[in-house]
Amino acid sequence: MNRVTRAFVRAGAELAEAVRIALGSLVGARLRSFLTTLGIVIGVMTVIAIVAIIQGLNRSFEGQIANLGANTLYVSKFAWLAQGRGEWWEMRNRKDLGKRELAAVEREVTLATAVAPQAGTRGTVTRLDKELSGVQLIGTNARYLDTGAGSVQAGRFLTDTDVDLERAVAVLGHAVAERLFPGASPESVLGQRVTLEGHPFTVVGVMAKRGQMLGMDMDSNVTMPFTTFLRDLGSKRSLNLAVASAPEDLSALEDQIVGVLRRVRHVPPDKKDDFAINRQEQFLRIYRQLTGALYGVAIGVGLITLVVGGIGIMNIMLVSVTERTREIGVRRALGARRRTILLQFLIESSVVAALGGAVGTTLGLGVAQLVALLTPLAAAVTPSAVALGLGFSAGVGLLFGSWPAWRAARLDPVEALRYE
Amino acid sequence: MAEPLIVVEELHRHYVVGGETVRALDGVSFTIERGEWVAIVGQSGSGKSTLMNLLGCLDTPSAGVYRLNGSDVEGLADDQLADLRNREIGFVFQTFQLLPRASAVQNVELPLVYRGVPRRERRARAEAALRAVGLANRMTHRPNELSGGQRQRVAIARALVGEPSILLADEPTGNLDSATGEEIIRLFSELHQRGHTIILVTHEPRLAARCPRAIRLSDGRVVGDGPGAEVAALSGARAVHA
Repeated sequence: MNRVTRAFVRAGAELAEAVRIALGSLVGARLRSFLTTLGIVIGVMTVIAIVAIIQGLNRSFEGQIANLGANTLYVSKFAWLAQGRGEWWEMRNRKDLGKRELAAVEREVTLATAVAPQAGTRGTVTRLDKELSGVQLIGTNARYLDTGAGSVQAGRFLTDTDVDLERAVAVLGHAVAERLFPGASPESVLGQRVTLEGHPFTVVGVMAKRGQMLGMDMDSNVTMPFTTFLRDLGSKRSLNLAVASAPEDLSALEDQIVGVLRRVRHVPPDKKDDFAINRQEQFLRIYRQLTGALYGVAIGVGLITLVVGGIGIMNIMLVSVTERTREIGVRRALGARRRTILLQFLIESSVVAALGGAVGTTLGLGVAQLVALLTPLAAAVTPSAVALGLGFSAGVGLLFGSWPAWRAARLDPVEALRYE
Repeated sequence: MAEPLIVVEELHRHYVVGGETVRALDGVSFTIERGEWVAIVGQSGSGKSTLMNLLGCLDTPSAGVYRLNGSDVEGLADDQLADLRNREIGFVFQTFQLLPRASAVQNVELPLVYRGVPRRERRARAEAALRAVGLANRMTHRPNELSGGQRQRVAIARALVGEPSILLADEPTGNLDSATGEEIIRLFSELHQRGHTIILVTHEPRLAARCPRAIRLSDGRVVGDGPGAEVAALSGARAVHA
């Protein structure tokens, strides 16, 4: 018991002594310590800045992608993530999805909580002398909003009656309302007449602002009954179906849809689906792959810089060991064991590196904030990034300090005491 | 009957330098009792430094026996030698060998750090040791703020603080002017009177003559062992031998 406590006290005292010596020699050679750690500082700064920016991008991407309903499947001729041109041509030649498919899904897919068709095109919207081109024109039904497609700010959304009667009514996206009726309140827009691709429509509602998704302005659109859309803007368009369900039913929902559509579209059992079922998650996955690669590059660059910094540390530690050969001899004569000397130099190199890491982390976060301020890129600071920076740099100190420390520990006390 | 503090029998230490074997110590035997003050004299190249390194457990013999305080140094591992130095030996060097960035009291504390003495006790013992060598008012000074004599006193305090069996001093006055050197010798004399065992390695016969006993080395062998004044008077060991 007494021996054990004594060993602990000894280890603790040696550790405290080692830290004191390390800090002492850092302060004693400030300029040198600073130059030594510069490599580490730059390496950690780079990694932290890049990681912060990537994490910021991730967050803003995930925020944007939330515009797609998380609990919604998007049935379409086209898969969102096509692999190469061949597949794209195959998808292009598929049979369109139409009212028949919509009716079948509405009737037979029991897990669906909402089914909304979507027909889309870009077109021109005019109001008196004002003309907006390139506006997304969307034909859908009353369930559209239940598939995670935003909300109405003023007036009402489309109703089943609008769809059944093929009424010429329109719900304006926020930006469209603002641009066609500058300065007017959303409420005052209701009942006004607008022209879509030459066809007169009555405004029944204005959507709330949604922001951007993947560079697409989600407020620059006009929504109308899909029946009216098919009548006035082209009947040959393929419909997309947005099908929502409870989150836990999403996989079963996909199975149901596949079954129904294969039957309705007469897909032989040995053929693949001639339609695609897309979900938000796919976007996230591909996006994460992309940023994962970016992460890899960033971390690679950072690691290389850290290695360079580590070599700097090794270099300066070798010099330090040589300079302090006599000190090592004295310590050994007074009873320091080899591993005590080893520990002393290891702690010194990791403290130098960790301090460099701390400075680098601070600078890196600063750079990230600066980038976020000056560019559209976002930056997010996570504790894990900070821990990573500090941990890595201390690790580099340990790794690259170990050879000099080992050399110090191996010194023969007699030789070391005689060293001039 | 209690064994002497130091027993050295037929001690050899050979080095191989450039393919040739140098017999730095070539069969040395003596014993030293507790409380003795012994000078080891000899010219440079006589083997006294080698002997000091062996007695100080900094080095291990090629052959022969060295028993210190009852334990055989032969075959001890490096860690055990370090512990033995820490417990049994207090070194005083010609060039003081103080750590330049540490204060006097921190320098004196060092052996206790390596022994695992708790901080408060360490500090108290180091301060007591400094007071004992007359440096009560120099505790927090760094070595470069002290005179040569004061530095050597700090070194002696450091050697004493762990209460070792032997004080091993290597030319302790070599870097001091004669007046200061005299002070240091008087300090050793006091320590001897208080019962410390002191081994003083020197090339100066004048200094050896002050010690109650001296051992003279020449070419790695003992050529004289007796009262300090007599051994110191032996001029040129080789002549005596021949």
